[in-house]
Amino acid sequence: MIDFEHVTKIYKRSDTPALEDIDFHVDDGEFVFLVGHSGAGKSTLLKLILREELPTEGRVMVDGKDVARLRRGKVPFLRRQMGIIFQDFRLIPTMTVYENVAFAMHVTNIGKKDIKERVNYMLELVHLEDKAKVYPEFLSGGEQQRVAVARALAHSPRLVIADEPTGNIDPEMSLEMMELLERVSEMGITVLVVTHEHELVRRFNRRTITLKQGRIISDVPASFGEEVHA
Amino acid sequence: MKISTFGFLTRRGVRNLGKHWAMTIACIASLSVCMTLNIFASLIEVNVDSMVSYLGSQNEMVVYVDPEADDATIQSVGNALSGTAGVSRVQYMSKEDVLNQYKGYMSDYAALLNEFENDNPFKANYRVSLSDLNQMETISKQFENISGVYSVTAPIEMTKTFVEIQQAVTKVGRGVVLVLMAVSIITVGTTIRLSVFARRREIEIMKYVGATNALVTLPFVIEGLTMGLLSGILTAAATIGGYAYIVQLSPTLGGLWQMLMGTALVPLENVWPTILTYSLASGALVGGLGSMFSIRKHLNV
Repeated sequence: MIDFEHVTKIYKRSDTPALEDIDFHVDDGEFVFLVGHSGAGKSTLLKLILREELPTEGRVMVDGKDVARLRRGKVPFLRRQMGIIFQDFRLIPTMTVYENVAFAMHVTNIGKKDIKERVNYMLELVHLEDKAKVYPEFLSGGEQQRVAVARALAHSPRLVIADEPTGNIDPEMSLEMMELLERVSEMGITVLVVTHEHELVRRFNRRTITLKQGRIISDVPASFGEEVHA
Repeated sequence: MKISTFGFLTRRGVRNLGKHWAMTIACIASLSVCMTLNIFASLIEVNVDSMVSYLGSQNEMVVYVDPEADDATIQSVGNALSGTAGVSRVQYMSKEDVLNQYKGYMSDYAALLNEFENDNPFKANYRVSLSDLNQMETISKQFENISGVYSVTAPIEMTKTFVEIQQAVTKVGRGVVLVLMAVSIITVGTTIRLSVFARRREIEIMKYVGATNALVTLPFVIEGLTMGLLSGILTAAATIGGYAYIVQLSPTLGGLWQMLMGTALVPLENVWPTILTYSLASGALVGGLGSMFSIRKHLNV
């Protein structure tokens, strides 16, 4: 699903690379943690996948497509295969929960009837069916993050990217969030979770790529035999 | 784009007006004020132009007919004058008419003028008004060549002064309108840009979920267009209402106003369709295009 082939990224007006010689592959349906301290290059890596930035060297492939060679007009279609969950939720404040989830589907030209069925299903999945008409400001952090998850999954993406999804929610909710993402992965959707919470990574025992100062310093495969969270 | 998607985005654009009511009011207010100023500046220009034209049209040419000319020649001179391009009005004054006119002016000297009854020294003439005062010099020369014309008196210098005043008023008026228009575009552009900037996060989210630039832009353009049309309605109401009041008030204003504008004031029915069209069209254009251009730099996500 994701292929980084010797990717280096150097920003303009910077001498040091944000990422250097990054080389890894993520299979379809795989669940991967991407860890590292602040400034390790995690955000840059995500921006390359989202084609918000282009690599200085090397090649980034998403679903078999070289993202650097995609025309600007094709980028939205690449992103429609992805669901993105942000640490700060990024819900549209002027839309209700229902509308926030439906929005991603509207922009992908899905019919009204299908949107209604799908949004209701997603809200049930994240246990927010009774909050459909509520605006984000009246939800707790955990609830807002669940709306963000519902929105990310609503249009049936092939890849879910979660950028510090537990950063703004309490530990109990964090666990619940990670379990939800695991269930997503079990549906055959590729999940990439960026986090710096080592405790969560340890509990969930999934493949873990560690970045430090723009380089991959370890890529540890999952060891399901030692799973501890169940 | 599916009709349901278009409908969703259009509804969103209209609904956003209420959601961001403070920005909506700021945009509508600045756009309405700018357009109102523009329209009033244009109305002043049009009316000053009309006033100068009116005063200028009072400057008639007098074409004297040869004293020896018979009735047929007088008639043919009249036909030649009326048939000349650029002539708007021709009025014949016989020798007797001229004498009677002078009697009116100089009633204190009635006895003296009575002497002229038997030997009228005045010449029959035609009073000629032109539609374009610029042509007075050329046309007066043409008249001199008409058979049966004795002489032509034309206030060429005075007319030139009126034409110059008129041209200066037009230039200044247009300059003021252009400056106001530029100020309007900058003011409204800044207000719309502020409104879009406040919602850059929303645009970013739309881009992350895979919205194309057209889909992101549409609600903002609908929003801008609606604000523009609302501003247009307010502007039209304010300016047409204001001008109607001035037109209604005009006959009650005496003195200099009556002398200058009494006849020259452009009637309301001549200007309101233009005001309405201009208000709605420029409101929609500035609102729609302003939103479209303001959003552009936020689309590079």
